[in-house]
Amino acid sequence: MPQEDKAQEPSVTFKVKAGLPSDPQEMEVHAAEGDLKPWDLESLPGFQHMGKPYPRFDGPLKVTGRARYTYDIKLPGMLYGRMVGATIPAGTIVSIDTTKAEALPGVKAVWSTESKKVRFAGQDVAAVAAVSPEVAMDAARLVEVTYEEKPFIHELRAAMEDGAPLVFTEGEAPGGEDQRVRGNVAGPRRGGRGNVAAGFAQAAATIESTYYLPVHTHSCLETHGVVAHWEGEQLTVYSSTQGVYATREGLAEALETDRKNVRVICEHMGGGFGSKLSPSATGSAFAMVACKLAKKAGAPVKLMLDRHQEQLCTGNAPSAQITVKIGAKKDGTLTAVEYTSYGSAGVAGGAGTAGPANTLYANNPNLKVEEYAVFTNTGPSAPLRAPGHSQGAFALESAMDELAEKLGIDPLELRKKNESSPIRAAEYDPGVKAIGWERRNKKAGDTPGPKKRGIGMANGNWYVFANPNVTVEVKIHRDGSVELFSGSQDIGTGFRTAMAVVAAEELGIAPTDITSHVGDTQYPQGPSSGGSVTTNSVAPAVRLAANEAKKKLFEVAAKALDADPGELKSEGGKVFVAADPARALSFKEAASKMPGEVIDCSADRKTQYETFRRDLAGTQFAEVEVDTETGEVRVLKMVSVNDCGFPVNSLTAKNQVIGAMIQGVSWALLEDRIVDPNVGTMVNPNLEAYKILSPKDMFEAESILVPQANLGNNTSVAGLGEPPIVPTLGAVANAIYNATGARLRELPMTPDRVLAALAEAEGRA
Amino acid sequence: MARKLPAAEDQSRAPGFSRRNFLKTAGVGAAASTVVGVGGACTKEPTVIGPDATTLRLRVNGTTQTVTVEPRVTLLNALRNELDLTGAKEVCNRGACGGCTVLLDGDPIKACMMLAADAEGHEITTVEGLGSPDEMSPLQKAFVEADALQCGFCTPGFVVSGTALLAKNPDPTLDEIKDGLAGNLCRCGTYSRIFEAVQKTARRG
Ligand code: FES
Ligand code: FES
Repeated sequence: MPQEDKAQEPSVTFKVKAGLPSDPQEMEVHAAEGDLKPWDLESLPGFQHMGKPYPRFDGPLKVTGRARYTYDIKLPGMLYGRMVGATIPAGTIVSIDTTKAEALPGVKAVWSTESKKVRFAGQDVAAVAAVSPEVAMDAARLVEVTYEEKPFIHELRAAMEDGAPLVFTEGEAPGGEDQRVRGNVAGPRRGGRGNVAAGFAQAAATIESTYYLPVHTHSCLETHGVVAHWEGEQLTVYSSTQGVYATREGLAEALETDRKNVRVICEHMGGGFGSKLSPSATGSAFAMVACKLAKKAGAPVKLMLDRHQEQLCTGNAPSAQITVKIGAKKDGTLTAVEYTSYGSAGVAGGAGTAGPANTLYANNPNLKVEEYAVFTNTGPSAPLRAPGHSQGAFALESAMDELAEKLGIDPLELRKKNESSPIRAAEYDPGVKAIGWERRNKKAGDTPGPKKRGIGMANGNWYVFANPNVTVEVKIHRDGSVELFSGSQDIGTGFRTAMAVVAAEELGIAPTDITSHVGDTQYPQGPSSGGSVTTNSVAPAVRLAANEAKKKLFEVAAKALDADPGELKSEGGKVFVAADPARALSFKEAASKMPGEVIDCSADRKTQYETFRRDLAGTQFAEVEVDTETGEVRVLKMVSVNDCGFPVNSLTAKNQVIGAMIQGVSWALLEDRIVDPNVGTMVNPNLEAYKILSPKDMFEAESILVPQANLGNNTSVAGLGEPPIVPTLGAVANAIYNATGARLRELPMTPDRVLAALAEAEGRA
Repeated sequence: MARKLPAAEDQSRAPGFSRRNFLKTAGVGAAASTVVGVGGACTKEPTVIGPDATTLRLRVNGTTQTVTVEPRVTLLNALRNELDLTGAKEVCNRGACGGCTVLLDGDPIKACMMLAADAEGHEITTVEGLGSPDEMSPLQKAFVEADALQCGFCTPGFVVSGTALLAKNPDPTLDEIKDGLAGNLCRCGTYSRIFEAVQKTARRG
């Protein structure tokens, strides 16, 4: 997750044109010594590459099956590892007998856990490594584990009941000692401002509703896994990870070896969404186990989790029960918001959901927030794409819709009235136009026939996070070829391509003239890809390193052009005298003048400084069709309007936004981790009963990006992976309401729930 | 684009193993022997192979390759682990996601749901056989241009399913594209871009 910026003395002041192109604002920023004048609204019209659409560089490898993922690595003599997980949700391991497994021909190494307590089904118990995946599976079946079972609790609401079996005994619960724990409930964590009682007293209308969201699993298509390879003390780990550096750190520590001995590589990876931020996973130490098996066997070990294990122990998004009370004046001005959330991260803490409540509608003077964590005997959660925010926004934005209905105000007008972000204020109109807001039902459900259409909207928020611990290396070779190196990994966002675009803009060559090398601890340090930090953490260092290299190139070119380096400019593959563009060298010619073989420049990212806004805005619109006879919901169209500073690559950026809407609709309509109350294990640990959205369910999706400066770094770039999933759930629920007059307060919005809500709405009417 | 795939090589593998014998398989279990035979049309006793590793001849991307695997090994694992053709992915390993899609005599099938032994005598085409980075098929090219991928793990499966779809229906409607790709899942959310890539390829003919 994002780290706080290092305190660093600011020392250069830049005047920048910040904010939206339609409303530029003068702003003074205080950057660290040596930083470049940030790209701002004045740079925008002159960009040669920034914001243009570039197909990702690794596309040809991926579409032809040549890209090598961790799952695809094969080393000579490689063994196949397999984890064995606990089959009970709570209890004690009495014994683990691996003798039969070890005796099986083809088995080369076995591992078993030393910890005795079992708190969720799927927890690591043992592991084997064998000559083939098939033999490894046989061996895993031969591991005999004896348990002493304990009563367990499988679900948030049940865990809150008096007398529910306790997941943790006193003092054991995660989350620190100063938290209050009663039964399985820890907290609250409090927040807010003003006085809500006084606020509600001023309200002309008040609504209060409770919303419920189940656990979602990440369901990355490439399961978690590694290939571990020892050569003496040197360990190379291929890992499907969102953080090669974090993996190295974690493994070095667990294996008690120096970091210099460990190299972690992630060239391509098949999805993470937050679950691949730990060295192994939140609910398994499989990577460490694979390294131990490899050492023991004296051979490389590939250990990929299977789908079932992936669903049980690699993380999930907490379930949540959220109560929202909102009061407003007649004209819609909010007077108070009370927000209470109970979330379950299984055996982990950190199930808060109040981000949107704390950030949206900041003009409301009275806010009270309480967040509780509830423990259950299920796998620990992991951050899932804007953790806590999609849940929180679903509740808050559904409640806003309910309030609008009660006040008799257009829900869009209610939001505009209370909008505190000038960026989001500018995002409404493009979204309204794209969805055709005027087509919505003036009265919810007011269309003839059994198939009813409706339009809804919701807001979301995210933050300008950045990780300053970044170094980037740029090389210009004598033949004019250019390489850039960053340890950060491309998790599917198009990071390697985006970094080339930034370098190309600075160097004045085409992005395709640059080769990006990423995802390896042999390259300079880069952040883990979580919290939407990668692009905006690394891009400013790319620009700095490219700028350094360019300056050196200008020195050699200046001699040849009989000019001063300061007079030179590079653009369109040429280095030329700015005042006299005819005096020019091609980039290649300029490079050929260098005395040595390579210009090799590294740069550290400078500290983050003042931003135009600390938060990222975002608003979404949905059109749905509900079959009121079957309860089936079809999303017809979604529009997302987002700001991300200056988009680097519009093609891949919009792909992120559209992908987030698809994943969000999947959460809204389909996804639900079901745990058997009788045996405490997941009933649907697969992809056929744990449903995710399929091509058949696909809708028309549109992404509108609103450029904005300044984002506190020299490129004015911000992250975009997470913000666009925050509003989706609420937008869909509100569209269903507009279509039918039925309010869905529990996810997923499956046909049975839709029919129940319709029946409730009819009863009311 | 109606790419013609080579016809299946109708040849017997070894005495007693006619091609017809390999069409259907029944009775698979851990370390169990595998019974291979034709369902209703079988006139002979089913052939029993295994439980030990046995040598199979597979026609893959136009060439004949031999693998020596236990009879329970899936076509997917044989391709990936024995022949190092890792384009087809293991995602769910039970027919739910399409990540492992390959063509069998031109038809898209889920390679995790078929035993390697059952693929003998058939023409298998993997995503690698459709094109290479330097010489992509029209559909592969369109995927790249439309950025119809993110992490790319589902992409080979979609490329193969899309290729099969266009071979049968060179000018599909959007609904027909959705139907043709309905067996494939993408977690990153690239469906609309994939549809665009298929449509573009169809338009280009
Ligand atoms: S891996 Fe074969 S269908 Fe999912
Ligand atoms: S691109 Fe990642 S699963 Fe489809």
